[in-house]
Amino acid sequence: MNPTNKNAAPSYTLNCRMAQEAAAIERLCQVVRIRGFRIASMAVETAGDYFDINLTLEGSRPVAMLQNQLEKLHTVAEVVVKQPAAKLARHSA
Amino acid sequence: MNGAQHILDAFHRHHIGTVFGYPGGCIMPLYDALVDDVGVEHVLCRHEQACALAADGYARASGKLGVCIATSGPGATNLITGVANAHRDSIPMLVITGQVASGMIGTDAFQETDVLGMTLGIVKHSYLVDSAEDIPAIMEEAMALAQSGRPGPVWIDIPKDILLTDVKTPTPEQTQTPSASTPDLSEALAMLREAKRPLLYSGGGVSLANAEDSFRAFAEASAMPGVATLKGIGNAGKHNPNDLGMLGMHGSRAANRAVEECDLLFIVGARLDDRATGKLDGFAPNARTIHIDADAAEINKLRATDVALRGDLSGILTAFTHEMEAQPLAIDDWRTQCQTWRTTGGFQAADNEEPLAPITGPAFIRQLSRITPDNAIIACDVGQHQMWVAQHYHFNHPRHHLTSGGLGTMGYGLPAAIGAQFADRQSTVINVTGDGSFMMNAQELATIRRYNLPLKLIILDNQCLGMVRQQQELFYNNRESQIDLDDNPDFVAMARAFDIPSLHIERTDQIRRGIETILAYDGPMLLHVAISREENVWPIVKPGASNKEMIDEPKRTTTAKKEQVA
Repeated sequence: MNPTNKNAAPSYTLNCRMAQEAAAIERLCQVVRIRGFRIASMAVETAGDYFDINLTLEGSRPVAMLQNQLEKLHTVAEVVVKQPAAKLARHSA
Repeated sequence: MNGAQHILDAFHRHHIGTVFGYPGGCIMPLYDALVDDVGVEHVLCRHEQACALAADGYARASGKLGVCIATSGPGATNLITGVANAHRDSIPMLVITGQVASGMIGTDAFQETDVLGMTLGIVKHSYLVDSAEDIPAIMEEAMALAQSGRPGPVWIDIPKDILLTDVKTPTPEQTQTPSASTPDLSEALAMLREAKRPLLYSGGGVSLANAEDSFRAFAEASAMPGVATLKGIGNAGKHNPNDLGMLGMHGSRAANRAVEECDLLFIVGARLDDRATGKLDGFAPNARTIHIDADAAEINKLRATDVALRGDLSGILTAFTHEMEAQPLAIDDWRTQCQTWRTTGGFQAADNEEPLAPITGPAFIRQLSRITPDNAIIACDVGQHQMWVAQHYHFNHPRHHLTSGGLGTMGYGLPAAIGAQFADRQSTVINVTGDGSFMMNAQELATIRRYNLPLKLIILDNQCLGMVRQQQELFYNNRESQIDLDDNPDFVAMARAFDIPSLHIERTDQIRRGIETILAYDGPMLLHVAISREENVWPIVKPGASNKEMIDEPKRTTTAKKEQVA
């Protein structure tokens, strides 16, 4: 599907902790894209065996649906959604 | 043991006796280990796509894990359609591919592809193994993951050098999947008792959860009218008087009417797929919903539910059954109404009794349903014949109906039937296919011959891509585009080339004898059935329209006897 209109879509910040493994970040990004969200900004830090990933997302679909899909990923330990995203983060891409 | 031998060791420990595969360069260490292994039967298909689809059919028919193996590069890419098929239908599958040696990854080596990257969207999980010491634990985790919760394919990509490396790490304990608890039913039970017009709506999740028996007990105890998705066909058994059959795009008018009129949808193991719901805004407009599913992500995904029950379907349904037995639902009027709709709005078609009349798809499938034993497994392909089977064949168990529901994979049926026959050597397994679908994996006739599988193949040949032609006729002003297959090969001669006997029929009076002949034959046999190019699947809902906008077959001038089948 096409990325949602960044001017109209709501914005969210989402924190995800997932195990470090091959293609972990790609796996996360693939789910975000196919479920209808656009990544406006992304920061990744390592914490032991995990990645802590902070995303600013835009999308018109319910963000709870994305959260459910991310939580299904085998290596995802936690997903926290904060909404709406801070204005600064929304334009930081 | 080296990495390859550890893979076989894991198969033994998990009682995996049959795998489907095709060898090649980077997976050779595993095939070398197979030479000395007598505990695993390797089925050599003639194309990797067929390996994956056969593993899918094996898993659906048996309820066990399906396993497929291929080499790197084209071996892996050829698997992709079959793995995507399993992913869309939540089939438990383990996929093992060889990869170029560790040091060669990323150098554009011969037969190198980024398998992990290109398959992210079609697997439940995947691994690129970077140490042989990890193989025992990954095998253990992968097999558990593929079969737990909502099942799905798990892919392990293993570089060739790692398959050859000795492993010193001891084999881990088998992973025990924690049993799911039964949630509190009180709110759902109250809602169910309040409802005047409750409707049971079941899908493929019932058999995926091995909850067939508990579902059937609940359906009988509640005596609730019920509809099924394509993958839920057979859930209620063939003798349940309250079963209205399949709903949706090619569902019965009775089923779609009941959905429209119900005031409560009791959803079990179904995901509100667009082919079932039609335009979502018009789906069950007056109903509250209770949604029971193993996958939390399906709850509220497309429609907000009033009560969600997530967990073990069998346990939940058994608890509901006890409640229904203690206090039956008082829905006699609604039940009677649905049975009336079933009588007047079930699947109907004109059975032309004129002996010399051309064969129609529905008439053939109804005869097939009458003649085949109750435990026959029907593996379909995709297209008009698939819908005629769904509408007119009476299944007594969901595992007897193998069909590509989510992905709609033409070419599925033949390899899936091969997998099903390996899963159950005693049952009658029949591939019902169309001329378009058959040609997509026709090379597997060689696999049938190699293993002398007693499969029965039925080609409903209308010399075109019938479902596409039908939609072009109805929704594209009859502008036919690229649907003619009138240069099909001689299928009878083609089967003969694979040393498979075959029979051709084209008249109504030949149907019974044709079916009885192939069923009686001790070995594989093909029945080629010539049908009309112009036959359509009725009823039909235009893609994107509401189910209440269902289009019925235009009235035809015929003296044929109307037969009630649903």
